[in-house]
Amino acid sequence: MPVQHELTQNLGYGIGNAICAVCQESFGVDERMVNSNGQILHERCFVCVQCFQPFPEGLFYEYDERRYCEDDFQTLFAPCCKQCGKFVIGRVIKAMQANWHPDCFRCEICNDALADSGFVKNAGRALCKKCNADEKTKKTGRYVCRKCHTYIPEGQHIMYMGEPVHPWHYNCFSCNKELDHLCRKRDTELYCLRCHDKMGTPICGACSILCVPSVKSLFMVIVIMKGKAWLTVKLTTMRYSGIKKNLSIFPKLLFGDVCFVCNKAIVGDVVNALNKCWCVQHFTCIGCSISLNLRSKFHEFDMQPLCKKCYEKMPLELKKRLKKAEQTANRK
Amino acid sequence: MSKAVRKIVEESREKGYTEIDLGDKGLSNIADIPGLTQLRNLVRLTLSHNRLTTLPESIGGLESLEYLNVFHNHIEELPMALGNLKKLRYFNAAVNRLSSLPRGLGTASGLEILDLTYNNLQKGSLPGNFSQLRALYLGDNDFETLPDDIGEFRNLQVLVLRDNELIALPKTLGNLTRLRELHLQNNRLTVLPPEMEDQIVLGPSHVFEYIKTDAYKSVYERHVESAAVPPPKREKEKNAKRSRRK
Ligand SMILES: [Zn+2]
Ligand SMILES: [Zn+2]
Ligand SMILES: [Zn+2]
Ligand SMILES: [Zn+2]
Ligand SMILES: [Zn+2]
Ligand SMILES: [Zn+2]
Ligand SMILES: [Zn+2]
Ligand SMILES: [Zn+2]
Repeated sequence: MPVQHELTQNLGYGIGNAICAVCQESFGVDERMVNSNGQILHERCFVCVQCFQPFPEGLFYEYDERRYCEDDFQTLFAPCCKQCGKFVIGRVIKAMQANWHPDCFRCEICNDALADSGFVKNAGRALCKKCNADEKTKKTGRYVCRKCHTYIPEGQHIMYMGEPVHPWHYNCFSCNKELDHLCRKRDTELYCLRCHDKMGTPICGACSILCVPSVKSLFMVIVIMKGKAWLTVKLTTMRYSGIKKNLSIFPKLLFGDVCFVCNKAIVGDVVNALNKCWCVQHFTCIGCSISLNLRSKFHEFDMQPLCKKCYEKMPLELKKRLKKAEQTANRK
Repeated sequence: MSKAVRKIVEESREKGYTEIDLGDKGLSNIADIPGLTQLRNLVRLTLSHNRLTTLPESIGGLESLEYLNVFHNHIEELPMALGNLKKLRYFNAAVNRLSSLPRGLGTASGLEILDLTYNNLQKGSLPGNFSQLRALYLGDNDFETLPDDIGEFRNLQVLVLRDNELIALPKTLGNLTRLRELHLQNNRLTVLPPEMEDQIVLGPSHVFEYIKTDAYKSVYERHVESAAVPPPKREKEKNAKRSRRK
């Protein structure tokens, strides 16, 4: 790199057999000498190697052991900003095999200044960390954590404030335990699965009926019968008779729906059926493993889907019972 | 064994497929399908609706297997080698003729979903050590009681016990704090009422909350003191049908 120098000092007058570092000749008696960075030279030789003029105010640039005035140095060597094409004097950002004014070096997607926040090279572009993360996710389908900017193992991300992050950067709002990907959001807070489930559903004190704030409602009734208290638990409004209205696919609203089969947070569409959540590809018939979809007819077998074909192959006695259970559920 | 089956297996080997569906192929033995149990990349294997009576020990060679479905066969016995399938997470052996389980199954401790519905299993046939198990389906079996160990399956979210011969439930069930589904209907339980004929699905934490209360304790104590005789076994249609078939 060229170094900018100030003329340090005049040494005074000829010393014995000293020679000029530029022209290799000796000095006349009483001739003024210049000391520049340890080199001794004639005053006439202490000039710009390009224009042979003395340096205005003694300011010069040294490059490859040669001295240049500011104008010539810029013309010959100063970096040009790749963005605006002008010389860069002062702080040069060297990046992407080019030079830039600090203010000209910006993210190619969002135009944020990169000089101080750092940048990431992405397919020949300089991007800010956020845009890079977005691009990487677009390309690989894997999320990049917005907190630590590293990839998040498949299925382990959570969405927080609309951005994918590693769950372990956060703690449960209730027990303060470090979270994993099974954590849930309730209102705006994050909870570990355990605390989330514990909050569960309140029992109505007046009617002893368990209130569930969702489409599926479960009733728990304590009945007094024959002088004894009985605990009765009844499923009421659930109707899974294998007709398509019972199976809804909707875009994921909350993160943290965990697939019953693969036990991972579901990325993409969620099948919400039979009191469980499933990845679309994991919503399969328990009999034949075939993928089921919105139009598939299936029967409910222990709150798992059994396709129509498989149902037909079941022992007659079992078919009858399944049918009866379905009818009972439908009547309610 | 049909040419088609042979071809499926061959093609899978050549192309390195990770899934094979051999459902409803009239198979009575998979040991004689050349190369099937050497498919080291196989992740999902479906053998439903065949006439298999057992699985060969060589099944232990399917070292990548995560999902095994042998739904609706005639399986009476399972090989110890199942315990070697370290990656096995899902095993469905529902609608078979199992009266015992190999102890090795418990060592396949990565199992998350185990479906043994509609078999002839009873207490003692349930190996322990299912630390990862999230769902256990034991409906339509012959359990009169359950081993206390069941309380050790701490990750259980689904426990299906309907249509057994259950006389009592082990107290350790209270340890299963993650349970979301508990199916109990059609057993010989008297402490839980006979009215429970409907599908029972509940957030059991609430039930267990209730079971912990003094009110329930006294109900329970009175019941135990009365030494009531459990209702007799009913002749279940399933069993009638089974014995006829044998
Ligand atoms: Zn000179
Ligand atoms: Zn010059
Ligand atoms: Zn510029
Ligand atoms: Zn940007
Ligand atoms: Zn992170
Ligand atoms: Zn917590
Ligand atoms: Zn899944
Ligand atoms: Zn099916």
